[in-house]
Amino acid sequence: MENSIVKLRGYKDGLHLIINPKVSLPEIETAIQELLGEMNQPLAGTSIHIDMRPPIFTSEDLNNLETHLTEKYNLVVSGVNVFDEENESPILAAPATHSISQSLAADNHPDFEHAHIVRQMIRSGQTTSCLTGSVIVYGDVNPGGEVVAAGDIIVLGALRGSAHAGINGRLTSVIIAMELIPLQLQIGSYVNRPPIGEKPRGYPEIARVGAEDIIIVEEFIKF
Amino acid sequence: MGKVIVITSGKGGVGKTTSTANLGTALAMIGKTVVMVDADVGLRNLDVVMGLESRVVYTSMDVFEKRCELYKALVKDRRVEDLMLLAASQRNRKDDIKPEQMQEVCEKLKQEYDFVLVDSPAGIEQGFRNAAAGADEAIIITTPDLSAIRDADRIIGLLQNQEIQPINLVLNRLSPALVKKGNMISKNDVLDFLNIDLLGVVPEDTGVIASTNRGIPLVHNAGSQGAEAYMRIARRMTGQRVPIPEMREENFFSHVANWFSRNK
Repeated sequence: MENSIVKLRGYKDGLHLIINPKVSLPEIETAIQELLGEMNQPLAGTSIHIDMRPPIFTSEDLNNLETHLTEKYNLVVSGVNVFDEENESPILAAPATHSISQSLAADNHPDFEHAHIVRQMIRSGQTTSCLTGSVIVYGDVNPGGEVVAAGDIIVLGALRGSAHAGINGRLTSVIIAMELIPLQLQIGSYVNRPPIGEKPRGYPEIARVGAEDIIIVEEFIKF
Repeated sequence: MGKVIVITSGKGGVGKTTSTANLGTALAMIGKTVVMVDADVGLRNLDVVMGLESRVVYTSMDVFEKRCELYKALVKDRRVEDLMLLAASQRNRKDDIKPEQMQEVCEKLKQEYDFVLVDSPAGIEQGFRNAAAGADEAIIITTPDLSAIRDADRIIGLLQNQEIQPINLVLNRLSPALVKKGNMISKNDVLDFLNIDLLGVVPEDTGVIASTNRGIPLVHNAGSQGAEAYMRIARRMTGQRVPIPEMREENFFSHVANWFSRNK
């Protein structure tokens, strides 16, 4: 996965695509193709930051790159960070000023109280989604099954598959399950997965984005 | 009128063909009329497991393409009454068949037989879709390992989309000794995960290999654990209430205990 032109790194505020801007845009696009082609996790719908060192792209190139990422990989560019040559901290954190990121701003849909209810278990290969509200599943979500919601996800059974709450970036979204042993959890752009071999705890749990900007999981007593 | 039951699993090598051969034979032994349909076009095996390979003259492809009458393509098993096999073509590919053709043949067969057992190929593509096309019910075969269970879960979802009901489970190759040691997923964990009704449990039985190679289904060899399990499943399929026994672990002490209880 090491690639001298582009690198993908996960930081506490989400995924960062680190770009060496000394090469041309087509070369970068090829490198991205190589990088994302290798990943077996679908990144569609994920928001990422672009990190780069000077010399910075022209805004036109940046624009093209964003369009490329959105159209080809269905990624959402949530910001562009420009780093100093010597040190690692960003000297300029410019929010992406393009229509894609704006249209996906959090809480775009006020209707999060609305819920899609699934009255069966979700098996491998099945996906259920509600892009305007929350999802409640009356049963288990098995590995290979996926639940996607703009709001919260509540599983009245065992969540063994994947769940992505707050898909449009609503970070107050939560995931609640009677048994929370997922393959992977996502809230907004944050990703978390439990340690391998985790056993069910025997009580309901809730996952949410904590103060440290990571997904925390704790016993669900009451909201 | 009978019913069409597709025997499927998703994953390969878990015992679909072995189970079809044994359940077909067992149902015929308890007096039902049975036809087994091999839907694994291009990789046919059911005729081999049944020991009928040399007697296959026409295949289901000949029936679909109207080269021969349906009844003429059925190979009769001479060891039991009323057990027939419709073999798959080895020269064709799975996409050469349309689901409607399969449906039509199944529809005709169930008019005359109590049970039409369709042996599905592995996978979720065209071959599986053809096999499931004419089915009223389904039997899922799985072994107690994670990949087989995951695939079974996927297949159950697909069958439910087609509104095939009921879907029952046969848990194959369970080894009580390994479960006890914690090295094998238990029956209850599988049931909790898949959430469908259990039709039966078949213990790991090394006799299966010999019976496959000889072309004599295990159920002909009454007394082996596997044969008894398949006979129980066949009885349940005919609506009899046969309890599912808890598997005992075979070891030195159980042999001694059995010996004593037998000699009482």
